[in-house]
This record gives sequence, C-alpha cells and structure tokens, in this order.
Amino acid sequence: MEKNKSVPEFWGKEDWQAIWIGFIIILLACVAVLTKAFDVSAVKFSTWAVGEAAATKAVPLAQQLGAWAFWRKLIVTVLVLGVLFTLGVKLQGGSVKKYIPAFLVLFVIALVVRFVSAEFTLNRYLEWAFWALLIGLLISNTVGVPDWLKPAIKTEFYIKTGLVIMGFSVLFSNIAKFGLYGLGIAWIVTPIVILFMWWLGTKVFKIDNKPLVITLASATSVCGTSAAIATGAASGAKKDDLSIAISISIIFTILMMVFEPMIIKAAGMTQLMGGALIGGTVDSTGAVVLAGNALGPEAEQAAVLVKSIQNILIGFIAFFVAVFFATRVDRNSEKKVGAGEIWTRFPKFILGFFAASLIASFILQPLCGSGAVKDINTVLDQYKNWAFVLAFTSIGLDTNFKEIAKQMQGGKVLWLYIIGQVFNIALTLFAVWFLLSGVIFDIPVLDLYK
Amino acid sequence: MASGKEKAFKVVTIVAVVAILACALWIMANKMGLVQGYDFGAGAYYYADIPGYDEIAKEDVYKTSVPYWVHVVLFLGWGWLMYRLWIWIDKRK
Repeated sequence: MEKNKSVPEFWGKEDWQAIWIGFIIILLACVAVLTKAFDVSAVKFSTWAVGEAAATKAVPLAQQLGAWAFWRKLIVTVLVLGVLFTLGVKLQGGSVKKYIPAFLVLFVIALVVRFVSAEFTLNRYLEWAFWALLIGLLISNTVGVPDWLKPAIKTEFYIKTGLVIMGFSVLFSNIAKFGLYGLGIAWIVTPIVILFMWWLGTKVFKIDNKPLVITLASATSVCGTSAAIATGAASGAKKDDLSIAISISIIFTILMMVFEPMIIKAAGMTQLMGGALIGGTVDSTGAVVLAGNALGPEAEQAAVLVKSIQNILIGFIAFFVAVFFATRVDRNSEKKVGAGEIWTRFPKFILGFFAASLIASFILQPLCGSGAVKDINTVLDQYKNWAFVLAFTSIGLDTNFKEIAKQMQGGKVLWLYIIGQVFNIALTLFAVWFLLSGVIFDIPVLDLYK
Repeated sequence: MASGKEKAFKVVTIVAVVAILACALWIMANKMGLVQGYDFGAGAYYYADIPGYDEIAKEDVYKTSVPYWVHVVLFLGWGWLMYRLWIWIDKRK
C-alpha cells in the first residue's frame, strides 16, 4: 500500500480524503445551484434507443453528442473528478504521472458503461452497476488489464467518495412522511431481517465471510444496491462480496417487481397494504414505483412512502455496521477493545456520509427549502453515479470469474438471500396487516390529489 | 469426497440458479413490469436516479398528528435495542 508519512492523516488517508473530496463536490454543487453563478453539472447520457418505436422519451444519440452542453459537461466532470482524485493519490504517496493516464482510460471505460446503460431496453431492468461489472469482467477475463491501467483501479477510494456525496441525498425529514405506520413497516422490520440473516448466515450456514453476510442482509432488507455499497464499505467487504450481493439483488428485483404485484392482486389485498408491502420488500426504488403502479395510484404512493423511509436507514445501518465490525469482528482476541483502537479501526468516511446527511436535513433544507436541496441533489446524483461507476468498473477489472464462484460458498450465499427475502416478505406482510388492515388501528388515508 | 447431501444441495442450487436467470431473461424479453410514460425501470436503484421523482412521490400525501420528535425517539430507541440484540446474537455459539 502506498503511504506518504509526511502528510497528516486527514489529508493523506483514503477515508479522510473521501470526506474532503466529497465535501468539496457538495460545496461546489451548493454554490453553483444557490448562486446560479456557474454550472458544475456532470455529464450524463439521456435515454437513447436502438430502433425502439416505443421509446418516446429517447433522445437520438446524434442529438446528444451534437450538443455543446454534452461536451462541456464531459470536460467539467473529467476536470472535477480527475483533479480531486489525482490530488488524493498524490497525497497518498502515489505517482501522479502514472495515475493521470490510467484514470483517463478508466474514465473512458466508465463512459462506455454509462453509454450502454442509458440504452432504452438495457436500462429498464439492469442498472449501471451491472453493466460496469460486466464490461470490467469482460476486459479482465479476455484481453486482461495492462499494468499501466492498474494505478487507477482504486475501488474503495471511489466508493467512499461516492458515499459521502450520496449522504447529502439521505434526508432525515422523510422519517415522518408516513407517520408511525411508515416507521412501523420500514424500521421495525428492517433490523429484524438483518439480524435474522446474520444469525442464519454466520451461525447456521457457518459462512466465515462476515462482511459478505452483512452486505447481503442489508441489500435484502434495506434497499438493494445503495445499502450494499454503504454496508459493504462500512464492514470492509471485499470487491467480490459486493459484486455477489449486488448481482443477486438486481436479478431478484426483476422477479419481485413483476410477480409481487401479481400475487398481491390475486390475494385480494387492498392497494394501501399491497403498496406498503412492495415498498418494504422490493429492493430498488425504481422497481418499487413500477410494482406499486401496477396495483394502482394509492399503492404507488404507499410503496414510495415506505421506500423513502428505508432510504434514510442506509446511513444509520452503515454507521452501526461500522461500529459493530470495529468492536466485535475486526479483532484477534476476546479482550475488550479500547476506544482508541475502535477509532483506529472505524471507517472514517461513514462520518462524512452522516455529516452530509445531517447538513442537508437539518441545515440546508430548513434554510433554503426542499426545492433548492432537490436541485443540489440533481447535480450531486451524477457525481455520485460517476464515482460508483468508476468503482464498479474497477471491481470488474480486478476480478475473475473463478474468484466470484469461490465466494458463492457452494450456493449457501444464494440460499441465504432467498430465505432472508422470504422472511422479509413474511414479516413485512405481518407488519402491514397489523398496521394497515383496520383490524387493530385506523386505516390511514392518503390524499392522492395534492 | 462430497456426501450425498452436499451433492443434492449443489444440484438444487444449480437448478434454482438456472430457473431464476431464465425467469429474469423471460421477463426482460417480454418487457414485463414496465409502465408507459415512466422513463425508468428496475435499473433506477436509488430515488435520486428516477427522472421526475418529485412528481411521483407527492408531497404531504399523508398528514400525521404525531410530533416529529416522537418519530425520532422511537427510531433511535428501536435502533439501539436492535444493536444490543445483534451483539447478544453474535456472542451466542
């Protein structure tokens, strides 16, 4: 590992760097949006289509690439991320000369990933994380990764930075959006499912890889990819662990998005109950909206309300996972770990994630309003996505199929997810019945015509 | 050498993986679960990635008379309790 001993920890260590790099980007976005003095938006591809007549919202590629705004944003993105990450690498003691060309090539591969994952048919079901892994894996398992590209493969650095930026979009005010009903469905169930999967994975299936167990448990019970990224980083999960947890979650999300509304309809459940069940169990937010919509407008709103509470949980769960792993898992003896040791082991970037969330929720939102925070998050979301695409492309480039197969532990990991998800559905169903059926409490009324 | 149980477990797992992947491919090939007018799918994993999310998730669709601080206290209290339970589970053999 590269180290530069003359640089203070705050500037030279990856965890702290993720915080200040993340906050520089957050500050840039805040100043740009609030003053409207300049535009710091990152580049993104709009949906495009290959001979897809139904893609009414698709923007032809020629039109996208022909616009100066696209190229200006591309230059801004490369400059912002390139300068900040290069500075980070320099302070870590790495070679800037080697990093810059490698970063530029990695960015081009990431650009291809974002281009592919913006295609109408491809982006309906599979998120960019999947395409990043796939394209990275294809390169590393066919032509191989040249040595000169390796200095840019800094998966954890990109993930941690992306998470700090993401923290700004985790708005704590959402906690009361669905009152005690929402809190009961989202927050009572989620930790129980995590603990159940922890017990099943570590005690029953005897899976030694604890970071993989907690990453998979969080992906199952909280909200798929984003929760997996946050808890994976908090627990020190390996790149293969993250690939496995996210791949399983993505595939099952597709199945649940289609079959869960069908089963709910067949069971004759009310829209409110069905929507809340979907919001509490389907992993990706996009799939939650679509599955809720399949049941009706009330179901869609109920699903979104429950999911928005789950989205807040990411920060708290990542924080507690970091504390748990620092105090209980990452130790060699049964001796009690001192505060100093815990602090040394604690992944500091989680503090940045948390701070960003608190600043957005309790300072910026009350001061500047929800609209301004939403506009800032529109800018930040793209930087978060770029950081994660760079990370997942790096994972793909740094992984081979054999390693992934080995980490599946002969199928135990798959069954851990399946049993955990069934438990999640059963427990959420009970919570939904208990709170929303009208048998015990009054049925809440959603005002859909606001 | 793998026991009969282990072999059976492997076979069931392989069958499950093939069935799950086939099912997912079938859904994608038939464009199931999509909504006309929404420019996203299951691939939009986080709310901020969904175009026009604010129009979908309506503001103040539910009004509660319970104060905000009660939610916060319950949230933190339950979180703390669950953390203690996690430690207890982890200590058990």
